[in-house]
This record gives sequence, C-alpha cells and structure tokens, in this order.
Amino acid sequence: MTVASVHDVEFGAELPRFHPDTSLANTGAFADAVGWGRGGRFKDHERARKEGLPGALVPGIMAMGFLTSMIHQWSPGARVVHIDTVFRAPLLADEACTIGGVVTDIDEAAGTVQLDLTVKNAAGETRVFGTADVRLPVAPEART
Amino acid sequence: MVDVDALKAEFLDLEFDTRDFILDADKLATVARASGERRPEYLDPKREDFQATPAFLASLAAGRHLPIDFPNLGGIPMDGGKAVTSIGPVRPGIPLTGRTHLHDIYAKSGRSGRMVFVVSRMEIYDPDGVHVATSDSRMVIRERPDP
Repeated sequence: MTVASVHDVEFGAELPRFHPDTSLANTGAFADAVGWGRGGRFKDHERARKEGLPGALVPGIMAMGFLTSMIHQWSPGARVVHIDTVFRAPLLADEACTIGGVVTDIDEAAGTVQLDLTVKNAAGETRVFGTADVRLPVAPEART
Repeated sequence: MVDVDALKAEFLDLEFDTRDFILDADKLATVARASGERRPEYLDPKREDFQATPAFLASLAAGRHLPIDFPNLGGIPMDGGKAVTSIGPVRPGIPLTGRTHLHDIYAKSGRSGRMVFVVSRMEIYDPDGVHVATSDSRMVIRERPDP
C-alpha cells in the first residue's frame, strides 16, 4: 500500500519491506557509476578476499540508495529532505538483505515525517541503520 | 589521547577543500536503477526534472577527506556513515562546486578503547551560487592507545 499524503501516515507504521538486488553485477554497476569500480572490492569476491574482506561488498552508499528507493515506493509523492545512515558492519554482495523503515514522528501541518531505517542481512543482523526526514504532500491533490 | 576540544577549536568550520563537478546523467541513472529506484525523475535523463539521488550525492564526499595538517590519530580510518540533505534538485551537465569543512569532531569510548568521529561536510552549490545539497561523511578512527 502506498501513501499519498501526510494524513495517510500512522505513527509506528512500518514501511513495506524491500528486498533489493545485491548481485555482483548490480553492486559492480553502482561502483562503476560512482567511480569506485577499479578494485575488486565491490565486483569480485576473490579479489575482495585477497584484500582481507569476507567477500565483495555492497557499497555503503548503495544501502542509502536502497533506503531512499524504499521511501519513494512507500510514498510516490515523498521527497527525502535528509537521510543519515550509519555503516555498522559490511553488507556482502550476493547475500539477500531486507530494507525496512518505521514512522517515528509526524507533523501533519508541516507535511513531514521522520523514519527510522534499517538494512538487515540474511541472518537478520542490522548492518546499516539510520533516519530520514521526509516531506509528503499535505493533501492528495497537492501531489505533483 | 588526543584532545578533542583542541581539535575542534583548531579545525571546525574552516573550509579546506573546493572541488568542481559536472555530473554525468547516465551515471546518475545507473546509480538510481541499481538502487531499485522507480521514480522517473531519477531514472530518465530526458526529463526536465531529472536529478541526482541522495546516494549519488553521498559519493561526492567519500574518501579520506581531512585538512592536510590534521593530525594522524593512529588507526585506519573507517567509513562510519553518510548523510545527505537535499535543498534543491541537483542536475547533471552543469558546473557544480563542492566546498568542504569539518562539521563535527567527537569521541565515544567503549570496551575496545576510544573512537574518534570526524564529520566532513561538503556543501554543494549550483552555477548561480545556490546551495543545493549538503553531503556529510562520517569517518571513524580507532585511537592509538598511549604507550
């Protein structure tokens, strides 16, 4: 279910969970586009292991991208004004992860909500967490 | 043990780096697509409202971004996180300027010792000098114990 305006948002509501593509092909495409693709860290498990990593990683800022995409899917009229992500532990490429969020504050007059955000790995461990301030249409007809 | 208050007094809020960028539309779209984005203003470079995602803006402030005379605190700096504030749309194909200063320095102590957090803030301006976004990079440094 998507949210059209701030009046549709309920305190404590969970955003629909999102299971992003963490394949090597996708993490590699992301890394190349932001200029981080030269090493194997995000593109090649063997090369990443030679660097002492457990395997190729999902770039930390890609987790921010997953979180923003989840917010946009939840509310197609939303604008992410501020997003803050804490990289607690690495996320591995080719490993499933779950993107989640929960509403922690609502200001209906201002049309803003605050969200707590998490990225969990397949074991349910939180690898990235954060918060977002999101502006939503005040009324459905205000959507652009 | 480094004196965090002294570091703050010496380094906070002093601009130490300026970079010019022109963002590539195809790369912006690739980052949006790889992130699972579905909104056309982030995916379709042909649209007038096409713009960068926050994740792409976070990449602009990545790396070890400290003043040249900032002291070596010991351990290997780790990427502790990123934050982006969107003020207006950031478009590709136009000259942008990123001005960076240290926004915050703080320490947290735990069982494994003290960690120093350094927040480097890049403010991004469009060609008219309008501040369009802010990108924070949080670096974590495990402090070298005193001998």
